[in-house]
Amino acid sequence: MQRRELQLGIAMIGPWLIGFFVLTLYPFCASFYWSFCDYDLLSEPRWVGLSNYRRLASELASGGPFSRALANTAYYALTSVGLSVVLGIALAVSLTWQVRGRALYRMLCFLPTVVPTVAAAVLWMGLLDPQQGLVNGVLESVGLSSQGWFQSTSAAAWPPAWPGDHAGRILGSKDGLVLMSLWGIGNLLVIYLAALADVPKGLYEAAELDGAGRLRQFRHITLPMLTPVIFFNVVMGLIQSVQAFTQIYLVSDGQGDPAGSTLTLSLHLFLTAFKDLDMGYASAMAWVLFVLVMLITTWLFRTSRHWVI
Amino acid sequence: MNIDRPPRLAQLWLLFVTTLLAAPIVWMVLSSLKSPEQIAAAPYSWWPRPWRWGNYAEAVQAIPFLRYLGNSVVLCLGSVAGTLFSCSLVAYGFSRLRWPGRDLVFGLLIATMLLPWQVTMIPRFLVIRELGLYDSLWALVLPKFFGEAFYIFLLRQFFLTVPQEMIDAARVDGCSELGVLWRVMLPLARPALATVALLETIAAWNDYGGPLLYLNDPKRFPLAYGLEQFVSAHSSETHLLLAAAVLFTLPMVLLFFFAQRAFVRGVTTTGIKG
Repeated sequence: MQRRELQLGIAMIGPWLIGFFVLTLYPFCASFYWSFCDYDLLSEPRWVGLSNYRRLASELASGGPFSRALANTAYYALTSVGLSVVLGIALAVSLTWQVRGRALYRMLCFLPTVVPTVAAAVLWMGLLDPQQGLVNGVLESVGLSSQGWFQSTSAAAWPPAWPGDHAGRILGSKDGLVLMSLWGIGNLLVIYLAALADVPKGLYEAAELDGAGRLRQFRHITLPMLTPVIFFNVVMGLIQSVQAFTQIYLVSDGQGDPAGSTLTLSLHLFLTAFKDLDMGYASAMAWVLFVLVMLITTWLFRTSRHWVI
Repeated sequence: MNIDRPPRLAQLWLLFVTTLLAAPIVWMVLSSLKSPEQIAAAPYSWWPRPWRWGNYAEAVQAIPFLRYLGNSVVLCLGSVAGTLFSCSLVAYGFSRLRWPGRDLVFGLLIATMLLPWQVTMIPRFLVIRELGLYDSLWALVLPKFFGEAFYIFLLRQFFLTVPQEMIDAARVDGCSELGVLWRVMLPLARPALATVALLETIAAWNDYGGPLLYLNDPKRFPLAYGLEQFVSAHSSETHLLLAAAVLFTLPMVLLFFFAQRAFVRGVTTTGIKG
């Protein structure tokens, strides 16, 4: 009887099982093996031991492309996730207010997320054009200086200065990418709104009776009740932004322009594999990325004990 | 109750924020109707003068738009068909059948969701190439017939809510397991299937990395990738580029308005856009 059950179960999940072996497990093992090989697709992989990983370490020490990619990835992931948490909660709370037109406001906040990445990249490259773009026009009209966006590096990040860049241009290519990601904040809002709707109303009523004002209610009721969702969004957000590819590829001319300021891990990996055909080195990078994602996730889960209710 | 009472200036603040978020879309649509001279002209003016509807006709002719569109439609239909077929079968196997080791294997399925796609990218590319699918839309469609962990998870959660009595009744009436899935589960799971179909349509329509890796012949490009070719060829013609981008975005906006509920259901279960 048990055998028949097993056969039936395996048959049902068969499609996934085949895909798992051929498209996930085999590639997973192969890329691990190749990360110890020299492999250019044309000849057979040749075992070189730890040399790919040593090369990564030496680039890290000497400030080569890999260390730049790591720094760029960290800047993009931390800035976009950090801002998305703060703005996401602020906006979601605002969207719970009982005002006229609330449904319309909610819809408008979600609308940008339906714009496909390719179209969003085209759109933002136009809006953020340093000379003709609307964003710089608005900045200048309110007395701020225009920014370099996708055509300059960020002053706040590595590498610190773009030759010939003039003072006052603080925001560069990575900040443009962060802005793009914040534009798609609607997905987070839906999750925060769902969580806000689940907060028991009685808690607020009790606090109100105790004389707590709006800010104290937010600080002592709303925020603690949101921590599980914040945690979820931070984990997902970090994992996704470390792996982000399409928008970065598009705004950076497919090569991390300008001056390597948008060369993130995933872009560097892609170019190493499919432009330089250095599959072994790219596989080693992929495994570093994998370990990095695992470490971030584990670390977040560990610290979550202290702040997630 | 009081927490949703709006503070002073609430309307002003909401108006400000939503204007910021919606302005880029308005800008895109209006700019796509301007003349190139007006786009370059300073000071900036929002309103197109004159309205150049011809930009759209020009943009469609500047690239093989209809061919790209056709490829995108084929890609979406194939991906949705493959996804619905494989994921509903597998989700049934993971929810309403009992077999030794099931929960262990399910844990494995969930674990694959945490695996960054970059780790498997290179060998996967070679597998697809070995299968002779390089430079064919099948390279993008065939993998969908092997299921996708997240959709399987979503459907499984839904299948678990179906009362056991209904399944038992069908089995007593002589239904095979496939019959139960087809006659009982799938009709009940229509909202969940709609969500999966919607998310997969969006994913296939938007996918850029897949065509970048697997397609070479421009005859097979879907719109998402073809549009980028347009960028490199016509980078100075912003008005046409934006017209093409608007045409590419429009189906997704329409889909959003017609399937708003399935949309929101998808996001709240996942927290991710395709």
